[in-house]
Amino acid sequence: MIKLYDYELSGNCYKLRLLMSFLGLEYQTEAIDFYPGNQHKSDAFRRINPLGQLPVIDDDGLVLRDAQAILIYLASKYDPNGKWYPRDDAALLGQMAQWMAFADGITATSSAARLHDGLFYSSIDIDAARAGAHRLFRILDEHLFFAEEAGQDWICPGDHPTVADIACFPYVILSEEGGISRMTYPAIRRWCDRFKRIPGFIVMSGVFPAGPGFTDAAGVAA
Amino acid sequence: MATDLQNTWHPIAASTDLVKRHVYQAQLLGREYAVWRADDGYVNIWENRCLHRGVRLSIGINDGRELKCQYHGWRYANRTAGCTYIPAHPADAPARTICNNTYPVAEASGLVWCGEHATGDLPDMSGFESVTALRGLPVNAPRDMVIEALGAYAFADGCSAQTDEHGVVTVTAADGQAVRFFVQPSDSNLSVIRGVLNQALDGAERIAALRHHNFLLDVLRSQVEARAAELETPEPMTPPIAKVSADLAEIPPEQEGGRTAELRVQVVDKTVTAEGIVSLRLEAIKGQLPTFQPGAHIDVHLQNGMVRQYSLTNGPGETDHYTIGVKREPDSRGGSVAIHDSLAVGDVLAVSAPHNNFPLRRDALHTVFVAGGIGVTPLLAMARALNSQGLSFEFHYFVQSHAHAAFRREMGEFGDALTLHKGLSPEDTGAKLRDILASPGHARHLYICGPGPMLEATRGIAADLGWSDEAVHFEYFKNTKEVDDTNSFQIELARSALSLNVPAGKTILEVLRENGINMESSCEQGACGTCRVGVIEGEVIHQDVYLNDAEKSAGKSIMTCVSRAASDRLILDI
Ligand SMILES: N[C@@H](CCC(=O)N[C@@H](CS)C(=O)NCC(=O)O)C(=O)O
Ligand code: FES
Repeated sequence: MIKLYDYELSGNCYKLRLLMSFLGLEYQTEAIDFYPGNQHKSDAFRRINPLGQLPVIDDDGLVLRDAQAILIYLASKYDPNGKWYPRDDAALLGQMAQWMAFADGITATSSAARLHDGLFYSSIDIDAARAGAHRLFRILDEHLFFAEEAGQDWICPGDHPTVADIACFPYVILSEEGGISRMTYPAIRRWCDRFKRIPGFIVMSGVFPAGPGFTDAAGVAA
Repeated sequence: MATDLQNTWHPIAASTDLVKRHVYQAQLLGREYAVWRADDGYVNIWENRCLHRGVRLSIGINDGRELKCQYHGWRYANRTAGCTYIPAHPADAPARTICNNTYPVAEASGLVWCGEHATGDLPDMSGFESVTALRGLPVNAPRDMVIEALGAYAFADGCSAQTDEHGVVTVTAADGQAVRFFVQPSDSNLSVIRGVLNQALDGAERIAALRHHNFLLDVLRSQVEARAAELETPEPMTPPIAKVSADLAEIPPEQEGGRTAELRVQVVDKTVTAEGIVSLRLEAIKGQLPTFQPGAHIDVHLQNGMVRQYSLTNGPGETDHYTIGVKREPDSRGGSVAIHDSLAVGDVLAVSAPHNNFPLRRDALHTVFVAGGIGVTPLLAMARALNSQGLSFEFHYFVQSHAHAAFRREMGEFGDALTLHKGLSPEDTGAKLRDILASPGHARHLYICGPGPMLEATRGIAADLGWSDEAVHFEYFKNTKEVDDTNSFQIELARSALSLNVPAGKTILEVLRENGINMESSCEQGACGTCRVGVIEGEVIHQDVYLNDAEKSAGKSIMTCVSRAASDRLILDI
């Protein structure tokens, strides 16, 4: 069975919990005391991930680190319909990789601001972290605005969300915990609602569920 | 003092930003708003905070009819922003004073407009009869600086810009294409450029135009922000927000005194909804009707001087009208006959604000409604609220025949949860009720409304089958019991330190009013619960049909319109 080295308040671990929930996968977790225990920097954990970072999975002896890498692995192996990580379209593969790299940038900024404000990481340059997140959010909001204009609900083209949406979601939705308002990103805010309505969506601390979407009398979603 | 900017309209969103079942977050002159479009299309602009703990409502849930706070689930109605339900007090009706701040709203030219104190006309848009709204672009700079920069905006050959005295910039190209910019002053150092083109574009042309302007405005933004960064950042604006009192949830409804009919409504529709039953749609002549909660009724002051109570049948969020159902009762004192025969569409009526003495719990695992005849009205509103929240219920509607079943269209929403029981004899009705009420069970609640005998029978059967008093809720239309007012006694008012005599032939309510105490009342026959008062000491002869048996024997409250003292003296909590 898949084992996730997990920390409840980690948005990167949440990415994997989300995908496994969307796919209905069973898995075990091993809780790592990230704060205050700093267990991810322990010698024992460094043997599992020399970078001393969460998340890590162990699937039958295959040990993988990095949330984006793990998303690709899990979706490729366990999504029977191949919807979350379609592999037959070169352009789409490139786009997914582009936005997953972008997601790591969101971690480096928005997650850092949250660690500073919420978990007392005082060495982080909070102004730089926030400014960096806003720079990325402007780009994402513009992208999602024109995606909506093109009739596209998700970060990458197609009628199904992909691992790119999962990779970007957690530290967007948790940004306010790092003092980063999303008020000026209305397209991001609408995308967050759509994301929360994906069947199988689960929350974590600080993330609230959405209510049901609108369907007209004929049962058609708008 | 309101400033000029507060008195004028500003766009705060594009119409397309307000998709259904979403809450948009906006800011104008430092004040934050939660903005949401109800399923009926209405745009609500509210203070962005929950009256409970001040949590932002922009993270709440727009269920199409109401906005629900994420923290403790307080619900607020479309249009009125009045609180309709507090999960922590499931058995109580929220006080009418619990109402969020609403702000002026208008939707025109592809934009949604607001102004803290805006009253006048929207900006003139001649030349912009058909439009395309551009993507709003937030800029970290003061409004004046953005307006100045837009004065040099050029998107095609031969552009010339004009800025009017309100800071509206219109840029026209040689070929007649034009764009008009409004700069939304979000805060002292945050503005949003909202532009509209003088053409309704679609398809590839639309996207190309949106992209073209978005790119040019992005360049302009970089320049303005670089300039603003060199100046000292102005202090953020701090609009005053009325404090929410900590014990808001605990305060009882405001005492408004008397049987006042503070609202003027117009009959805009009168439809026969079933044999002998008309439904009336009442709309406010001006302003907004107050918030109602499911189970609430209004007093209708008829042209012939009579005052009658009718339950609202509205579903949640249907806040632009009240709908009541009136059965023609030729034997009664004439109120219903006057409505059936004389009242016409266009007539104006005086009505009270809604009173809710029949509150609906929404924490039941399952709710059973038993409606008889016209008693369906309050239960209809309740079931519609549960239905829209996806909560479990069943609705039993006892009628003489199919033709006597009112509000069938509205009830169509209930699907399988609705059962019509047609033309049953009293015995068969009893047997059917025994079936329906067979399993009281944990967290199941029963709501009954209908003619007196049926209500009595249902309560009896429910008690028999083990339903507790707390789980059985009922409302009588009227009190048919003979009221005895032959004794006289003393009342002492604990809070007002008054001692009064209630003589034979007068009610406590009358005596209180004669002595200048403002008392709310509605039916004045012991059925509706509006004139309820707490009893501190003394024994009560209960002559009402509002309180249940447990409440009556507890002796902690009294319906002052009919009930009296069994002892020489009553100490009342007023
Ligand atoms: N690129 C990595 C970043 C993971 C990451 O930053 N994880 C955090 C926890 S959410 C962590 O372990 N931080 C400790 C560190 O980087 O030293 C990924 O996407 O998995
Ligand atoms: S803060 Fe809104 S319900 Fe408690």
